[in-house]
Amino acid sequence: MNNDTVLAITNLNRYFGGLKAVSNFNMVINKHELVGLIGPNGAGKTTVFNLITGMYSPTSGSIKFLGEEISNLKPHQIAQQGVTRTFQNIRLFSSLSVLDNVRIAYHYKIDYGIAHAIFHSRKFSSAEKLIKEKSLEVLELFGLASRAEEIAKNLPYGEQRRLEIARALVSKPQLLLLDEPAAGMNPSEIKNLMELIHFIRDRFNLTILLIEHQMRVVMGICERVVVMDFGEVISQGRPEEIQSDPKVIEAYLGKTTTEWRE
Amino acid sequence: MIEKSYIKNQTTKIKVILFIIIFYAVLQVLMSTQIINNYWQQIICFAGVMTISALGLNLIYGFTGQFSLGHAAFFGIGAYTSAFIIKTAHFNNTFLLIIGLIAGGIFAGVIAFLIGLPILRLRSDYLGIATLGFGIIMKVIFDNADAVFPVLGGSRGMVGIPQMTNFAWVYLLVFFTVIILRNLINSAPGRALISVREDEIASESVGVNTTKYKTLGFVIGSIFAGVAGGLYAHLYAFLHPQNFDFLKSIDVLLIVVLGGMASISGTIIAAVVWVLILEGLRVVLPEAILDWRLVIYPLLLILIMIFRPGGIFSGKEFKFLHYQEKK
Repeated sequence: MNNDTVLAITNLNRYFGGLKAVSNFNMVINKHELVGLIGPNGAGKTTVFNLITGMYSPTSGSIKFLGEEISNLKPHQIAQQGVTRTFQNIRLFSSLSVLDNVRIAYHYKIDYGIAHAIFHSRKFSSAEKLIKEKSLEVLELFGLASRAEEIAKNLPYGEQRRLEIARALVSKPQLLLLDEPAAGMNPSEIKNLMELIHFIRDRFNLTILLIEHQMRVVMGICERVVVMDFGEVISQGRPEEIQSDPKVIEAYLGKTTTEWRE
Repeated sequence: MIEKSYIKNQTTKIKVILFIIIFYAVLQVLMSTQIINNYWQQIICFAGVMTISALGLNLIYGFTGQFSLGHAAFFGIGAYTSAFIIKTAHFNNTFLLIIGLIAGGIFAGVIAFLIGLPILRLRSDYLGIATLGFGIIMKVIFDNADAVFPVLGGSRGMVGIPQMTNFAWVYLLVFFTVIILRNLINSAPGRALISVREDEIASESVGVNTTKYKTLGFVIGSIFAGVAGGLYAHLYAFLHPQNFDFLKSIDVLLIVVLGGMASISGTIIAAVVWVLILEGLRVVLPEAILDWRLVIYPLLLILIMIFRPGGIFSGKEFKFLHYQEKK
């Protein structure tokens, strides 16, 4: 493992009863990489996300983030270490304002304690001012600053997706996990999204791992693709290599008829 | 612009403070001159006590989203603790009342912390059942407390508690509870509490320690209940386990839902209206149909839920409770 390794997963297993959702999974992600995780439905992609972010604990195996074991940590601890995520079906704090959605994600950076909160001390005021500034700064980048006071659930779908990414980024994480960011988007929204992902990677100096079903996105922005099927990695490499890998084609389309006859 | 809005904020603040003082003064004068007689004074104080307790439950249920059916138990813990301390001290003055109330609040908070750690990992209905179980256990403990501390009276009730709660104390403590709650929910820890209600998984994923904040909300809400219980003990000078069973928890829940979840104003209005209607109907209704008040009031509940399902205030606040963010 060299210094550039952000995430190193070795021999990761997760069983649900007899089902091997993730088995013998290995993956290394280097700094500033943009990696795609693809595979047919039920391949275990989201389970891998849930394992990395601590939503599930692994049956066995190790997950190292910046050289430190995180597989035994709680989700909020992992988030505080600098791994944040978005969800397949958007999970916003839907009845809160756009600003509050982002502010909540920044709260642990400034811990002024309950007493300061209750008495609204000077320390409280300056900390709150900082939280608001930082949050508005991020909203500005995502073109949501003018929407700051609106209730999150009233935003159009595309903006909800962007808000979720903004919320994941306000605490300046190092690794961002995007679970199907392009789901439900039309072609022009997808184009914007791809530009946005490139932009945030450079702006926030991020490493990104994303799950996506839209091949246009995966092939368009990922530098490296990892293909999963039945909980295992079956192939990985540059997008163009993956496209012609017979194992990948088999996973998606099934065996060819000639092989079937044999 | 900034200066203008600042001055405007300051004038609203002064107006609000003036209103609070004048409102108190008017009521106090009416009480001292016996225009509001002792009977109604006690009811008004009880409305204040219920307000404090219900604000506590609103923090737990309305803001943090943790369904609790054991609120009356914490109210009872506060009541018995404070009554026990002051009755065994054999002297009473204002200073002792403060100690009693603080002790009641703290003890309720400690119990909430201990019981919260294991049960707060449960969600919604399951948590409701678990807190209900806790409430029943506490009722049994109150019923049999005289086996250990004869002074608590057990199922015969605890008598001879010094009557020390007056309108000034209740008013002051309602005021503090409202301010503390308002300041808390408009802060980073407060927003973390609300995020737990909104989506627990999402809040974990952005670094909110949900276990910690659920416990925090539960403990602070229970402290409010404990303090309210202490005031209650020294208001009526008599405690009976029946007053802290789970039906009383449902009364508090009713106030929170009627007033509007996560609305401080709603809880205040609902608590006062609820107490005054129950007692008011007793006065207004002719003797012959007096028992019908227990039909009229549930009917009101049904009507309110049909026409205002979000509660009277449904998440909104009086203007003066709006927190003005510094520009």
